[in-house]
Amino acid sequence: MEVIAPDVDLFFLNFPFLFDQPKSQVRLINHKYTIIPSSKSVYSSVAFQSSYDHSTDRSTMKSIVVFHHFLFLLLFLSHLNSISSWKKEEFRNCNQTPFCERARSRKPQHCKLIATDVTIHDGDLTAKLITPDKFQDENSTNPLILSLSVYQNGILRMKIDEDPSHNPPKKRFQVPDVILPEFESNKLWLQRYTNDGDSFIVYLFDGYEAVVTSDPLEVFVREQSSGKRVLSFNSHGLFDFEQLRVKKEGDEWEERFRSHTDSRPFGPQSISFDVSFHGADFVYGIPEHATSLALKPTNGPGVEHSEPYRLFNLDVFEYLHESPFGLYGSIPFMLSHGKSHGTSGFFWLNAAEMQIDVLGSGWDAENSILLPSDEKRIDTLWMSEAGIVDAFFFIGPKPKDVMKQYASVTGTSAMPQLFSTGYHQCRWNYRDEEDVKNVDSKFDEYDIPYDVLWLDIEHTDGKRYFTWDKVLFPNPEGMQKDLASRGRRMVTIVDPHIKRDDNYHIHKEASKNGYYVKDASGKDFDGWCWPGSSSYIDMVNPEIRSWWGDKFAYTEYVGSTPSLYIWNDMNEPSVFNGPEVTMPRDALHYGNIEHRELHNAYGYYFHMATSEGILKREGGTDRPFVLSRAFFPGTQRYGTVWTGDNIAEWEHLRVSVPMILTLGLTGITFSGADVGGFFGNPDTELLVRWYQVAAYLPFFRGHAHHDTKRREPWLFGERNTELMSDAIRVRYTFLPYFYTLFREANVTGVPVARPLWMEFPHDEATFNNDEAFMVGNGLLVQGVYTKRAKDVTVYLPKDHTWYDLKSGTAYKGGKTQKMEVTDADIPVFQRSGTIIPRKDRFRRSTVQMENDPYTLVIAVDSSGAAEGELYIDDGKSYEFRQGAYIHRRFIFSNGKLTSVNLAPSSSHGTKFLSDCTIERIILLGYSAKPKSARIKPSNHAADIELGPLQIRSGIRSSALTIRKPNVGVSDDWTIQLL
Amino acid sequence: MKIQTQSFLLLLFCSVLVLRSAVVRSENLRGVAPIDEEYYNGLSSSGTIKCRDGSKSFTKAQLNDDFCDCSDGSDEPGTSACPSGKFYCRNAGHSPLSIYSSRVNDGICDCCDGSDEYDGKINCKNTCWEAGKVARDILRKKIATFREGFTIRKHEVEQAKLSAAKDEEELSRLKNEENILKGLVQQLKERKEQIEKAEEKERAQKEQEEKQKKEAEEAKLKEQKGEEKVNVEEEAVGSKSDDEAGAHDHSPLGQDLNKAAADVEVGVAHNDEDDDRDASLDNIEEEHAEENEEPSKVTHEHDHEESSNAAHEYDHSHVPGIKKEDASKKDASEDAESLSREELGRVIGSRWTGKKTEEQDEDAGSARHNDNYDDDNDDDDDDVSDNAHDEEYNGYDTETEEDHHKYEDDDHMDDIADDDSSDSHKYESDGESDMSDMESTSNPSWLEKIQQTVRKFLEAVNPFQTPVDTFESEHVRKEYDDASGKLSKMQSRISSLTKKLGHDFGPEKEFYSLYGQCFEIKEKQYVYKVCPFKEATQEEGHSTTRLGQWDKFDESHRVMLFSNGDKCWNGPQRSLTVRLRCGSKVEVADIDEPSRCEYSALLTTPAVCQEGRLKELEDKLEEVNKEQPQGHDEL
Repeated sequence: MEVIAPDVDLFFLNFPFLFDQPKSQVRLINHKYTIIPSSKSVYSSVAFQSSYDHSTDRSTMKSIVVFHHFLFLLLFLSHLNSISSWKKEEFRNCNQTPFCERARSRKPQHCKLIATDVTIHDGDLTAKLITPDKFQDENSTNPLILSLSVYQNGILRMKIDEDPSHNPPKKRFQVPDVILPEFESNKLWLQRYTNDGDSFIVYLFDGYEAVVTSDPLEVFVREQSSGKRVLSFNSHGLFDFEQLRVKKEGDEWEERFRSHTDSRPFGPQSISFDVSFHGADFVYGIPEHATSLALKPTNGPGVEHSEPYRLFNLDVFEYLHESPFGLYGSIPFMLSHGKSHGTSGFFWLNAAEMQIDVLGSGWDAENSILLPSDEKRIDTLWMSEAGIVDAFFFIGPKPKDVMKQYASVTGTSAMPQLFSTGYHQCRWNYRDEEDVKNVDSKFDEYDIPYDVLWLDIEHTDGKRYFTWDKVLFPNPEGMQKDLASRGRRMVTIVDPHIKRDDNYHIHKEASKNGYYVKDASGKDFDGWCWPGSSSYIDMVNPEIRSWWGDKFAYTEYVGSTPSLYIWNDMNEPSVFNGPEVTMPRDALHYGNIEHRELHNAYGYYFHMATSEGILKREGGTDRPFVLSRAFFPGTQRYGTVWTGDNIAEWEHLRVSVPMILTLGLTGITFSGADVGGFFGNPDTELLVRWYQVAAYLPFFRGHAHHDTKRREPWLFGERNTELMSDAIRVRYTFLPYFYTLFREANVTGVPVARPLWMEFPHDEATFNNDEAFMVGNGLLVQGVYTKRAKDVTVYLPKDHTWYDLKSGTAYKGGKTQKMEVTDADIPVFQRSGTIIPRKDRFRRSTVQMENDPYTLVIAVDSSGAAEGELYIDDGKSYEFRQGAYIHRRFIFSNGKLTSVNLAPSSSHGTKFLSDCTIERIILLGYSAKPKSARIKPSNHAADIELGPLQIRSGIRSSALTIRKPNVGVSDDWTIQLL
Repeated sequence: MKIQTQSFLLLLFCSVLVLRSAVVRSENLRGVAPIDEEYYNGLSSSGTIKCRDGSKSFTKAQLNDDFCDCSDGSDEPGTSACPSGKFYCRNAGHSPLSIYSSRVNDGICDCCDGSDEYDGKINCKNTCWEAGKVARDILRKKIATFREGFTIRKHEVEQAKLSAAKDEEELSRLKNEENILKGLVQQLKERKEQIEKAEEKERAQKEQEEKQKKEAEEAKLKEQKGEEKVNVEEEAVGSKSDDEAGAHDHSPLGQDLNKAAADVEVGVAHNDEDDDRDASLDNIEEEHAEENEEPSKVTHEHDHEESSNAAHEYDHSHVPGIKKEDASKKDASEDAESLSREELGRVIGSRWTGKKTEEQDEDAGSARHNDNYDDDNDDDDDDVSDNAHDEEYNGYDTETEEDHHKYEDDDHMDDIADDDSSDSHKYESDGESDMSDMESTSNPSWLEKIQQTVRKFLEAVNPFQTPVDTFESEHVRKEYDDASGKLSKMQSRISSLTKKLGHDFGPEKEFYSLYGQCFEIKEKQYVYKVCPFKEATQEEGHSTTRLGQWDKFDESHRVMLFSNGDKCWNGPQRSLTVRLRCGSKVEVADIDEPSRCEYSALLTTPAVCQEGRLKELEDKLEEVNKEQPQGHDEL
C-alpha cells in the first residue's frame, strides 16, 4: 500500500479535474474525446503499463487486491485524461498561482491607500499613495508614487511604482521597446489642476477630463459636461501593490508546481486592481484565448466556476476551442463598446503573467458600491505577478478612435509586402527539394495562384537553424531561385532554442559571448526542445539582437537568397521540460531581469530581432516578412502572427474568426489561422469551408501536422479542387482591396478584418456577432461553420443595402435572415455606398499581376452615391514613405465617377507610376439604364452593357458594366454615365 | 494496316490544317488551336458568334480585344482577359501546347516558341528546336521501350491464358476428386466411429465383466488369481502380433498414403522416414525460435542508442523500439516527479511528433509478430482481411486447428525464404508447389486405390462384430487419418487455386505472371517489398512493417492498391499505391511516403505496355517530326 502511495497521490492530484469542471467544459471535452478516439487507447495502454510496472515486485495477496483497485482507478483516470489531449493539470490554475488566488479572494474596499502631496511635476500630475495612520500597522509599507500624463487625442497614462527615495531592494521592471519613441512628443504638458474637495481634476481631451480622488483613492476619466464616467480605476478598492522587501527569517518565498521549484529570490511583488468600463455593453480584446469575441464573465452570479482570462505565453498542445486559458501571445489591452458611451480602451503595459477577471453584473452585490453614472458598466479585475502599473486609458468614443489611440502608443501594423497578402502553402514538412518542386508544379498544373512555399523544422541539419539538411536540401539556392523565377518566395523556420552542440556555429558564438538566458544559478539555461538539449538567446539585450540580426546576412545564412523569408515558432518560449512547457520564472536575462518579469515579451523581442535582421540584409530597403507565434503589444510593427496549433474541427474554424478579430482589435491586423487545422485530418467539406472563410482573413496559409494526410487543394477530387482553387482565386481578385486596407491599417491602426460593431457602432445587434466580419468597410463575410449546412443565418446591419457578391441580389439590412448556401460559396456581401477595387485576372502569383488592369465594383446607396479607395505602391520597398505611391479616392454621385488623388504631390523626386488601367466598372443598385459613358479628359466613350459580377464559369448573374473605360489608374478623370 | 491508313489520313488532315492556318492566321486568331479555327471563321461570315458555353455573343472586334466577354474565355483565346481561357502555342519544332490564359503576358516564357509573351515586356527565345530534340529523343526511347514491352506483353498474355487454363483444369479435377475423397473420408469416419463405439462398448463390457469378476473374486478364493493374470497377458501378446501382421498386409497402400501426406504436410507431419526435408524443417523451426528472441534484443540496443543520441530520435520516424517502461511514462507526465529533466522534455516534445508513441506501437507490433511464431495467432487470421475469408473455399472454414498450424508454418517458410535479397522472387502461396508436387508424383489411380481399400473394409468387416478386431480398427483409424489429411491438403490447394483464379488479372490476364512474385527496392535503411496480389512490406533488419494487404487494381489497371497495413499511431493504417508504367522488366522504383503512412511507388511492367498507347506515341512522334521547321536536320 505504501509503495503505491505516490501514485494514489497522483490520482488525487488529478481528481479536481472531475469536479471543478464547469458544465460547458465537460461537454466540450467529451466532444473532443469522440473526435480523437485514438488517443484514448494510447493513454489507457500507457496507464496500464505503468501500473503493471508498479505491481511486479509485490507479492502479497493484499497488495494484489489493492493493485486491482488501483488499476481500476488508473484506467478510469486515464480514460478521463484521455478525454482531453490538452493536459490541463500541467498548467497552473488561479488557485495554484498564489498571487492570483490572493487577488481573487479580496473583497471590495480592500485598498486603504489615499492620495496625498498632489502636484504638477514635469507636465504630469503626481501624488503619493500612503496608508493613513488609522490603518498603519507593523506591516505597513512605503508610499507609492502615482503619476498621470495626458497625450494628444484622448489618452491618459497612469503610472504607479515604488518610491525610489525609499531605496527599494530592486528596481521593478518596466517594459522597454514597446511604446513608440515618438509617442512622448504627443504629450500635453499639464500646467495646473482644479481642486474640487477631495478631487484633483486635469484636462484630458476636448470634453473629457481626468480625476484623482484622494480618499478613497480612485482615478477616472469622465465627460466634462455630463460628469458621466468613461473608465475608472480602483472604484471597488481592489488595488493592491506588493512592495519588494528584504527577506526576513521565516519568509517562505519558494513556489512549487509539480516537479518544478521557483526560487523567487525577490519574494511577492504582484499588483492587482479593478477597472470599470462605463456605458459598456460588452468588453473585448486581451488575446490570446480561443474564445468568443465579446468576453464572457469569469466571475460573479451565474458563472459556475471559471478561471480568469490568463495572459501567459504558452505552447499549449491541442488547445481547447472555448476556454479562458492563455495561449501563445498576450496583449493586456481591453476594449469596451456600448450603446451609451461608444468605445473605450484600457491597456496595461506589463510583461509578467497576468490574469484578468471579467465580473458579471451583480458580482459586488454584497459590498455594493454606488458609482455615479451607474447606468451600464462592466467591472474587471486585473492581476499581475510583477512589474509596475503603467496603464493607458483610451476615451474613444468611436471604435476607430480607440484603434488610433492604441496605435499611437504601440504603433501601427507594418506595411506588408504584397506577396505576403497572397496564399501561403505550408506543411510540416515538405520533405525535400523534389517534394517542393512537385508541390509547386501542381499549383501551376491546376492553375491555382500561390505566393509562398514554407519549410518547417525538418529542413534543417538536426534542428540547427540557419542550416540545411544536406541530403534532403542539397541545393537550397537553386530551389529558391527556381521558385523565384515564377515569382514565388520561400519561408524557412528559425526558432529561439539553440542546439547545445559545440560544432554548431550559432551555439559556439552564443555561449562564448554569453548571449544565452541564464538559469537561477547564473549558468546558461539548458532546456529541452526539438534539437534536444538547447539554450535560448537572450533577445532583451539590443547588442544580442543586433548579433542575431546579422545571422540573416546572405553570407551568414548560407543557402538563403533574397526571396527567402522567416518564420519564428516556439518563441513563447517553448521549453518541453520547463514548468508549464516554458522557461522557469527565476531564469535571468540581461540586466538581471527575472524571466517572470518579461516572460510575455520574450517572443516579441525574438520576433523583433529576426525582423530587424531581415531588414538589415537588404540594407533596409526590403520590407521584412516574419511570422511569429508568440506576440505582445508592438508585435504589429515587426510582422505577422497566426493562432498556433489549432485542430481540424469545425469548432476551431468557428473560433478562428473571433481570435483573428480580437487580434485586429488589439493592433495585430496581419493574422490568420492554419487553414484546415494543424492537428488531425479535416473532412473535405470542412477543408473547403475553411478555405472559403480564410480567403477573406488577413493572413492566408494552409498548414498541417506531419501525422496528417496530405491536403493540398488538388487532392480531394475535381469538384473540391475547383472549390478550393475558387476560394484562393477570389482572394487574389480582391488583393488590391486588401492591400489598400493594409495601408489603412499601416496609417491609422484600423484593422483589415473588423468586427461588425466597428463599422456599425450604433447597431446593437452587431455587438456580439462574431460569426460574420467586415473586410474593410465594404465587404461583409459570413462563415459557414457546420457540416452539410443548407442554409445559414446572416445578420445584415441596418440602414444599408447589401449586394450578394456572386448573384448581385440586394438585401435590405436591419434583419436576420436565413439564406440558402451551397458548397460553392459562403455568403459575402458588398455594402451599399462603397466602391471596391479588384483585379479579376489571377496569375501564378502576385508578381505577375502587377500590370493587370483593375475592375471597380460600385454599390450605390439610397442616394445613388458611393465611395472607395485604392492604394498602390511597389509592393516591397519603403519608397512609399517618400511618397512613392498611388492613392486614389473614387467618388460616385449623380451618375458620375471621379478619381481623386489622395497622395501628396511629391515634390522630392520619388514617384511611383503605374500603367495599369481600369478595364471594367460594375454598377450595383443603379436604377437608371445608361447606354454609354463619356470619359474626361480624354473625351472618349465607353459602352455600357450587362456583364457578369465575377468572371467565373457558372456565374450567371449580370449587372451594368462599363466596358473598357481604360482610364489610367494613376490619373485624374471623370466618367459620366449617359 | 487499317489503323495505319487511318492515322495517315488524320495526319494528312492535320497538316492541311496547319498549312491553311499559316495562310489564314491573322493577328486576331492569336492563341487559337488549328482545330478551333473553324469556330472563329464564323466571325467573318456572320459578324457575331456565340460563346462556346452559349452565355453571350461576341463580334469580330471583341475577339482578342483584351476584355473578357465570354465567361468560358472563347472570345479571348490570345489574351489573359478571361481567367478560364486557354492559349494555344504552335511550338514548331516541338509539340503544340495549350496553356492557361493566366500565363499570357505574365513575364514568364511558357511556350518554347515564345508566342505567349508578346507585349514586349520580356523577350522569349524560341527554344523549340532544342527542347523538341530532347523531347523527341525521350519519345523515341519511350517508343522503343513500349515496343519491347508490348512484345513481352503479348507473350505473357498467351502464357497467362495457358497457365490460367491449366490452373482451372487442375481446380476442376481437384474438386471432383475432393468430392469422392470426401465421401470416402465420411465412410471411413463412420466406420471409425462404429469401431470406436464398439470398442467403447467392449470396454464397458470388460469393465462390467471385471467388476463382476471382482465381485466374484471377493466371493471366491484368492488362489485363482494367478490363472487370471496369465490370461490377460496372453491376450495382450495376441493383439500385438495381430497388429504387426496387419501393417505388413497393407503396407504398399499405407506407405503410399503416408508418403503423399508427408510431402504435403511440410513441417507438420513428422514422417518416420528421416529425410532431408524434415531436417531442414527442424532448422527452420530453430531459426524461428531465434528470431523470436532477436527483435527484443534489437529493441534494447536501439534504446541505448537513442538515449545517447537524442536528436536522432526525433529525426527518424522509424527507429524501432524503446524500453517499455519508458514508453509507459511517455504521457503519464503526471509522474513528473520521477522523470529527469531530459525525459520530461522528450515526453512533452513527443506529443507533437508522436515519435515515441509510434515507437511503442511498433514495438507492440513486432511483439505481435513474434507471437505468430509461438502459437496459432487468431489476430493474424483476422488481419488476413474479411474478404479473404469470403473468398476462401468452404472447406477452409471447417479446417481443424491443426490445419491452421500448417498454414501458419507455410507462411513462415515463405517469410524466411523471402529474406533472400534477390530483386524478385516467388512467394509460395498456401502450399501451392507442394500440391503440384503431389500431383506429378502420384499415380492417377491413387484415388481408386483408396476407394478399393475402403470398399474392402466395408465389405470385409462386420461392424457389429464384437470383440472388435484390433488389427482392423487400427487400420481403419490410420486410413482415416491419412485420407482426411490428404483431403484437407486437397482442400487447401483448392482454396488457394480458387483464391488465385478469383483475382482480377486484367482484361487479358496480362498480370497473371505477377502472381506469386515479389519485387524489392532498397531505400536508405529499408527494404521495400511489393508482392502483387499478396501484400507489401517495409523491412528494416528483422522488423517488418506491413504497408498493406493486396486490395485491388484501380484506375483501369494503371494502379495497384495495397491497404489495411499496420496501423500508425494517431494515424491511419498504412497503405501503398503502386502506379504502373510500361517497361520491359518488372521493377519497383521511386518508393515514397508523401503523407505519413501513405506510401506510393512506381512499378514498371510489360503488362501495361498497351498497343493503343504505343500507337499514340508513334503518331505523336510522326506528328512532331512533321511539325519541324525546314532546314533543320535531326542528325
